[in-house]
Amino acid sequence: MKRKFDLPLTITLAVLALFVFIPMLSAFEFSIRTPVKGGYGWDQYLWAIREEEFFYYIIRSGWLAALTVLITLIVLVPTMTWLHLSKSTIRPFVDGISLLPLVIPVVAFAVGAQISFPEFVQDTVLELPFLYFVLALPYAYRTLDIGLNSIPLKTLTEAARSAGANWWRTIITVIIPVIKSAVVGTVAITFALSLGEYTLTVLLHWDTFPTWVTYVAQENILGAIAISMMSLIIPFLVLTALTLIAPERSTQGRK
Amino acid sequence: MTPNVIEGGAPSRGRASLTSFLKNVAPALPLLAIIGFFFLFPIFRLIYVSFMSNENTFTLDNFRTTMQEPYRSGFFNSIKIGLFSAAIAALPGAVAAYFIESRGPVKLRRTISVMSGVLANTGGVPLAFMFYAALGIQGQLTKVLKFFGWDIYAGRFSLGTFLGLLIVYLYFQLPLMIIVFSPAIVALRREWAEAARNLGASQLNYWIKIGIPLLFPSFIASFLLLFASGFSAYATANALTIGDIALTPLQIGGLLDGNVSASQINLGKALGVVMIVISAFAVIPYLAIQRRSARWQKR
Amino acid sequence: MSSKSLTLRNISKRFGNVTALDNFNLEVGVGELVALLGPSGCGKTTALRVVAGLEHQDAGSVLVGDRDISQTPAHKRNMGMVFQAYSLFPNLTVEENVAFGLQMRKVNKHVRLKKAHELLDLVGLDSQSKRFTHQLSGGQQQRVALARALAFEPEILLLDEPLSALDAQVRVNLREEIRRLQLSLGTTTLFVTHDQEEAMAISDRVGVMNNGVLEQIDTPDALYNKPASSFVASFVGTMNRIPAHITDGMVEIFGSKIVALKRGNESGKVHALIRPESIAVAATTQGNAKVLTRSFMGASSNIICQTADGTIVQSLMTSASTGDLLPGSSVQLRVLSSEVLVANV
Repeated sequence: MKRKFDLPLTITLAVLALFVFIPMLSAFEFSIRTPVKGGYGWDQYLWAIREEEFFYYIIRSGWLAALTVLITLIVLVPTMTWLHLSKSTIRPFVDGISLLPLVIPVVAFAVGAQISFPEFVQDTVLELPFLYFVLALPYAYRTLDIGLNSIPLKTLTEAARSAGANWWRTIITVIIPVIKSAVVGTVAITFALSLGEYTLTVLLHWDTFPTWVTYVAQENILGAIAISMMSLIIPFLVLTALTLIAPERSTQGRK
Repeated sequence: MTPNVIEGGAPSRGRASLTSFLKNVAPALPLLAIIGFFFLFPIFRLIYVSFMSNENTFTLDNFRTTMQEPYRSGFFNSIKIGLFSAAIAALPGAVAAYFIESRGPVKLRRTISVMSGVLANTGGVPLAFMFYAALGIQGQLTKVLKFFGWDIYAGRFSLGTFLGLLIVYLYFQLPLMIIVFSPAIVALRREWAEAARNLGASQLNYWIKIGIPLLFPSFIASFLLLFASGFSAYATANALTIGDIALTPLQIGGLLDGNVSASQINLGKALGVVMIVISAFAVIPYLAIQRRSARWQKR
Repeated sequence: MSSKSLTLRNISKRFGNVTALDNFNLEVGVGELVALLGPSGCGKTTALRVVAGLEHQDAGSVLVGDRDISQTPAHKRNMGMVFQAYSLFPNLTVEENVAFGLQMRKVNKHVRLKKAHELLDLVGLDSQSKRFTHQLSGGQQQRVALARALAFEPEILLLDEPLSALDAQVRVNLREEIRRLQLSLGTTTLFVTHDQEEAMAISDRVGVMNNGVLEQIDTPDALYNKPASSFVASFVGTMNRIPAHITDGMVEIFGSKIVALKRGNESGKVHALIRPESIAVAATTQGNAKVLTRSFMGASSNIICQTADGTIVQSLMTSASTGDLLPGSSVQLRVLSSEVLVANV
């Protein structure tokens, strides 16, 4: 076991840290400036939080992201469980289709989306969760695929079914707990992508938190910077904390 | 209904094969329906309408226009920025991924993985702010560099130029490279390095004969994905430039916004289709290479 | 290149707080196949890796013949090694894999491929020479690994649990093949395993290890019949432990007085160590034990009984002589040898 100081690794991390944090810290410094009073303060952050639209848009984006996650789990988990179990001939087809959104640039997709949906779909913001679902599909599908591959799915299902559970109970009480980390990963990726989605949203003329930030920037640039900082740093900290707290799961057997 | 050849050899009587067909497909229908309606349908419609003239007749004019200025420059610049941003980020990203994955402790690896995920998704206005604050005319780093004698604004540089965009794109391209390339590093088994040493290979020999040949396809694949990412980026370019650089995503955005109106109303669709084709040229090989590499990467 | 002897002298190795090897000594003679046998964590793999140069010892030396190679880097040690699994290079074909060691020694392409084919022929895989690793089964992969390790005629052959990842039948066939090859080439071999049947079946000598220490190294016969410690006795084969009391150098088991072979200071209350084949079972009306189970294994049967004081005793007899011993029936147990090993309780 190497106990000695790993120079290349340290240098790599140092360079990366500089590269990542200089812009971030610079912006942070801007955001805590108080031009009127001189010096520093949390004024911009307080201003942002007091803006009534702040919470409105956070909740709106959060709600849309949550819906996207819900759609993803409800549609993908049962379907993929079935695909893995049944050895269906259409599995390669579905595997392939799930990767297709990667091929299509979001801008092009936005053009197509704009001209495709009938009025009733376009008028409701509920079209967004389904579109976000499509955008996140390649990542969500792959994460769940890997998770399902790593468990003895057939055996577990047969055990549950022979003990009397119907399909839904089997999935909810047996399968999902076993592939917990894959499910968490899927939720995280889908939620993060939906929360931060800008291009599709703005081109389809919807308002969510990311588009609102752009709008605020036209009026109060320092305030907008503060909001941007929050939208970057908070998910960052939350996810990092989750990662460090999570129990170590050795998926690679490095002896 | 034509009898399907299904595992188990269902008898090809009409009713039996219908049931087998349904059993084989039905549970996937909700997923396929959503993908069909919300994804495939818009794409097909896009392709269809791109061939429509203003009078709803079939035409190739929309595509002809895409090959003219300013759209031609748009494609040229977008491809350029895709290639350049991928080229700059690829090797550093690969090297960083190597050191992190092969020598970092577990917690570090996980933290970097999460961070890279967040950073790779960073873009648009928040990213623009960060770089204005760091490298803008009043930026912190600009001031530091000036102190050391290098005035980056002495020439015609600004963040809204091609070079400026390139620097900013690096911010999300580098983490993306780490994310996409790391699995290949992780899949390099320790046994191979040890076996190579045992058989008489020095470290260099191992890398030349085994390590690099194994990593190379994944490296190329990652480069391709980075190209697609840089090529298609919209939000960041939109936030940084003022419309003076021709980039395809921005041109399409302008047409969609109604800020720009073209005489051909379906020009935007044609631009979109060409974008898809260019993107496909990168992403499809990416997927193919990854699939092939999966054979030896299975743990 | 003819084979040499292998010597490990006073090797110590620690990983953090854990002592993997404690003043470990071992000598493998020219052309000998010695197995290191023991449970996980006993240090056998560490010892092998120190020989290979993949781990560096904290103290002690490794010698090949008269040559001290303790500081020689791994890639200059000229030893062939077979790993447990997954060690074939996935980007090279089978023949390129086998020729790799020769390639590193700058042997010209034509010559090294020819040699590779010779070895592949020896392991029966010449037909697969142009294939890739993922196209082969586990057993085939290990045979290629073996060919690869022997292609450059190493002085020493090292095997790190090469059969552990394989199916039972493949394991048996492959271990015979390893022994056959080793004997015909005369290569000094060190073989690490946790499977005692495997070690006993093909080795000239077996070293039983426990907690970084070599408890006993002897021929399989001697290990089985004259285990030097309680650990070795239990690890190699099955051993009954019957409570008894030493009086005047004798113990009384099942009514007969037998000589107690002491290895140390055993006295008073002890365990008599008796192999199942040294215990006879006979059906009778008022015996000293009751049958618990009988396992029919073809030519022989394993009978497990329980004595009045609760001791479980295992007996191995020919199926013919056990007749119909049903669970619950009363039997008389008898020790067949005139001397038994004893161990402290």
